[in-house]
Amino acid sequence: MLGAFRSAFATPDLRKKILFTIGIIVVYRIGSTLPAPGVSFKNVQSCAAQMGQGGIYGLINLFSGGALLKLSLFALGILPYITASIIIQLLTVVIPRFEQLKKEGQSGQGKLTQYTRYLTIALAVLQSTGIVALAVRGQLFGNCQQEVIPGKDNIFTLAVMVLTMTAGTAIIMWFGELITERGIGNGMSILMFINIAARLPNVGEQMLQNAGGLTFFVVIVVGLLIIASVVFIEQGQRRIPVQYAKRVVGRRMYGGTSTYLPLKVNQAGVIPVIFASSLLYLPQLLQQLVGNGNSWWQRAIQTYLVDQSNPVHIIIYFLLIIFFTYFYIQITFNVNERAEEMKKFGGFIPGIRPGRPTSEYLNHVLSRITLPGSLYLGIIAVLPNFFLGLTGEQNSQNFPFGGTSVLIMVGVGLDTVKQIESQLMQRNYEGFLR
Amino acid sequence: MTLALQIILVVSSILLILLVLLHRGRGGGLSSLFGGGMQSSLAGSSVAEKNLDRITLLVAAVWAIAVIGSGLLLTVS
Repeated sequence: MLGAFRSAFATPDLRKKILFTIGIIVVYRIGSTLPAPGVSFKNVQSCAAQMGQGGIYGLINLFSGGALLKLSLFALGILPYITASIIIQLLTVVIPRFEQLKKEGQSGQGKLTQYTRYLTIALAVLQSTGIVALAVRGQLFGNCQQEVIPGKDNIFTLAVMVLTMTAGTAIIMWFGELITERGIGNGMSILMFINIAARLPNVGEQMLQNAGGLTFFVVIVVGLLIIASVVFIEQGQRRIPVQYAKRVVGRRMYGGTSTYLPLKVNQAGVIPVIFASSLLYLPQLLQQLVGNGNSWWQRAIQTYLVDQSNPVHIIIYFLLIIFFTYFYIQITFNVNERAEEMKKFGGFIPGIRPGRPTSEYLNHVLSRITLPGSLYLGIIAVLPNFFLGLTGEQNSQNFPFGGTSVLIMVGVGLDTVKQIESQLMQRNYEGFLR
Repeated sequence: MTLALQIILVVSSILLILLVLLHRGRGGGLSSLFGGGMQSSLAGSSVAEKNLDRITLLVAAVWAIAVIGSGLLLTVS
């Protein structure tokens, strides 16, 4: 293991990439602690301390690594980008033009990315305006009396704040792309990883104070077990054998090999969880925008959707995750296309005719394998909701050893390690994974 | 002084957003966001892209200085 680290740093190419990534991460963390212009750093600190962790901004605050409640430069984090990509991804099903672009390959994909970038900026303007408005009205920190934004009567000051936060989001997007291009791994997911990991010490300390040493120890052990099981399932795959026929092109022989088509148990990754939690967050957002009333639907939202320990909330969340797992696999893994591709290159699954029977077979296997995958995703995501009392937090999704956080961290971590590994393999070094 | 900093912030923020949007998007959205394979782009960055990087970095530096400056002004006053 350590030897792999040494050889990773001994390779000049890889060393440069890793150092570049670390450098960007450092800049990103610094930016997450700098307050936006016009924000009184001292007052924000005391307000945030007063409110403690959690609150209603669970998901946003999770994805921004706690930067939101500091009203920092990068307060929005990468959430606008994630939302924008989800929207564009969903629109490819709805709008024919987008579907066409997606099928077009490289250039179409580039255009879609460009649309995502524009949408990100638009969403960033919206969200930063929302956050600034909340802060001005004093709702961001519950009932904190201190003035968070001293010059809040001046419209121009507020406009500058919104603009700066939007520019911050643009910079984050650029950082992510830079890491993808010149660093290691996928930039956006690495930044997300950093955001979540940055909260770990904080939450751990709180738990230690609230619940005492023994509980803390037990939670750590349970957390490690959960991480191990997530890694186990994340790596699990069904290998469907594929035999390629020999063909002669000119004087060369091609094919004749037997490979396999890997179908992961959890083909959808962590995206269904993100979709589901974003969707559950919407009614909360609506309620905030309308203001605090006490009509019947607002009370219903409060008890059934916002309160995460409520059984109704847990069941809805669970069902949504299962639905989105099937949905997402349906739109990303096109069975017909795979079968068609295999047929084109002279491949077939032993015992099954190429063409339509193959696609039907793939569909059958995929839907069977997705069931445990989706159940697993749902269970892991819902798990922390049962530990509410332990952490003394209202917002369990912030709980670092379960739910969305672990799924994202393990997924991103595995991906990045694999990428470093393949780079090492190119140079004939032994990798991290044995 | 505050006003001057704010004006610098407005200008540099808008410039920064435009410059970032001018870059060629990498990453390819969500599909590659979580475990989407390793299609590393083999094509190196072009000269135009390199210059764009430099200009963006410059504007970002101005922007960061303006942000820190206005923060300091607020703390001192």
